[in-house]
Amino acid sequence: MLNILRMDFYRFVRNRIMYLLLLVFCAFQIFGIFMTKQYAQEMEKGGISVSSLNESDFIQYTISQPPSWMLVYIAVFSIFFYTSEFSSGFHKNYIPMHRARIHSVCSKILVLAAFVAMLFLTMLIADWIGRTLFFDNTSLGDPVYLMKLLISQFMLHWAFSILILYIVMVVKNLLVSLTAGFVLALNVAGMALSALESLVQGLHLSQYLLINTIVRVKDFNNAADILHTAAVAVIVILVFSFLAVRYKLQEDLN
Amino acid sequence: MTDCIIECCGLTKRYKSKAAVLNAELKIYRGEIVGIIGKNGAGKSTLLKMISGLVYPTSGELHFFNRAPAGDQSFFERMGVLIENPGLYLNVTGYENLKLLAIAYGLKDSNARIEELLQLVGLDGSRSIKVKGYSMGMKQRLGIAVALLGNPDVLILDEPINGLDPQGIMEIRQLILELNKKGLTILISSHILEELSKIASKYAILHQGEIVEVISREELQHKCEERIEISVEEAKTAIPVLERELNLMRYKVIDSRNVYVYDTDITIRQITKVLVEHGVMVDSIAKHKQSLEQYFLERTERAGEHHA
Repeated sequence: MLNILRMDFYRFVRNRIMYLLLLVFCAFQIFGIFMTKQYAQEMEKGGISVSSLNESDFIQYTISQPPSWMLVYIAVFSIFFYTSEFSSGFHKNYIPMHRARIHSVCSKILVLAAFVAMLFLTMLIADWIGRTLFFDNTSLGDPVYLMKLLISQFMLHWAFSILILYIVMVVKNLLVSLTAGFVLALNVAGMALSALESLVQGLHLSQYLLINTIVRVKDFNNAADILHTAAVAVIVILVFSFLAVRYKLQEDLN
Repeated sequence: MTDCIIECCGLTKRYKSKAAVLNAELKIYRGEIVGIIGKNGAGKSTLLKMISGLVYPTSGELHFFNRAPAGDQSFFERMGVLIENPGLYLNVTGYENLKLLAIAYGLKDSNARIEELLQLVGLDGSRSIKVKGYSMGMKQRLGIAVALLGNPDVLILDEPINGLDPQGIMEIRQLILELNKKGLTILISSHILEELSKIASKYAILHQGEIVEVISREELQHKCEERIEISVEEAKTAIPVLERELNLMRYKVIDSRNVYVYDTDITIRQITKVLVEHGVMVDSIAKHKQSLEQYFLERTERAGEHHA
């Protein structure tokens, strides 16, 4: 397991696309803050101007704005990282190794976690640069609250990357997987289910959907919100990791 | 060569209702070079993929070293695989492709091993060139180096000489023979039969997913050897005449009427003359010579008729 993980990380750190994605994300994040200053200075979030939000609230504000660009970047990277190995056929060289099918999926899941962590780090840096330059505001807010928010959102976004990994493994098609990734990032399914739910009284299942949980503004001082977020993230991570490993174990590698 | 290292027992692979490989029975012994012969779509790649653990059989069993893996995949680690196109990252160098795999194998002194392999396959001078700049032959050679990285006992090569020029084919052939001399058991599929005939010690002929014949190099050479086929009234009368008059040494009595003569310095005219002079009735006499290609075509046609 450790060797395959080392191999995937070796490929990960030498991956130019990954750095390019992070750079583009960073640039667009700063540009987004600039645009907010230019056109949405008057926009208010519950009576408070966006420029006066601390980092925790600003993250919640940006993540809740559809489409979630972080999810789009995660989808692109997850699909790219898996298909680059699969379409080259490189996996055939090591898959006959003992338990390599399981280890290969687990290592990709861990690489995706590293990418999501780097994306969050990039977001923090970009926010700090953008908010300093355009809002003249570097307030982080309560550090404990910020940590709870970052950990929860990291878990949710990592769960999303595993879901995309599973989709690309099953679909085996770059375009179809990318389309599915964009549709999920736009939360089309969540919105459709919410609309259907509004027709039925007392049904609130859509709040447990992964993307709905990601984009919903949460209060991380509220234990129920933390529990809800953690439960959704852990369940999606476990279910889709299990499905991905099971699929790989049964897959004919033609 | 008494140690059976791979045994296919009724190996079958179906894709929906179509059988890509049907009930394959094959034994591979240590040190052999087994040539898998078959037309396109005969099931060669599928059979090799099942043996190398890339594809799961629908039914049947694979035995390695006289043991069924029964879910234990560790036997597959002892194989180096080059199936269809070499699995390589095109945007990095050959060295880096090997380096990645060496990390996956957990090789300690990987740099030395990579250098050794690049030298073995003749790519030591191209270590800074990205794989996308490689010729077809270079990619195939790098594919073989990749397959050899884990020090396998068995090397599985699917069409390794596809698309190569004559020079490339010769180099790959020499490399395969060299590796075999070092003790590697090799399974190789190709539809370039002439090439296969220069290296294989055993052949498995596949037709429409079925192994229609497994034949050793010696048996095949014997079957394809130049011979004179004689049909006479009574073979037991003809043989002493031919032995005495023409000093016949190499022959085979097929049945009571048919005899095959393998002495190439004896002509049809001489045989006919001697037999007629001694009152032996000759029904027919003809020279027979078959290439591996002709033998393969004849064998698959026969199998096709059997299917029909």
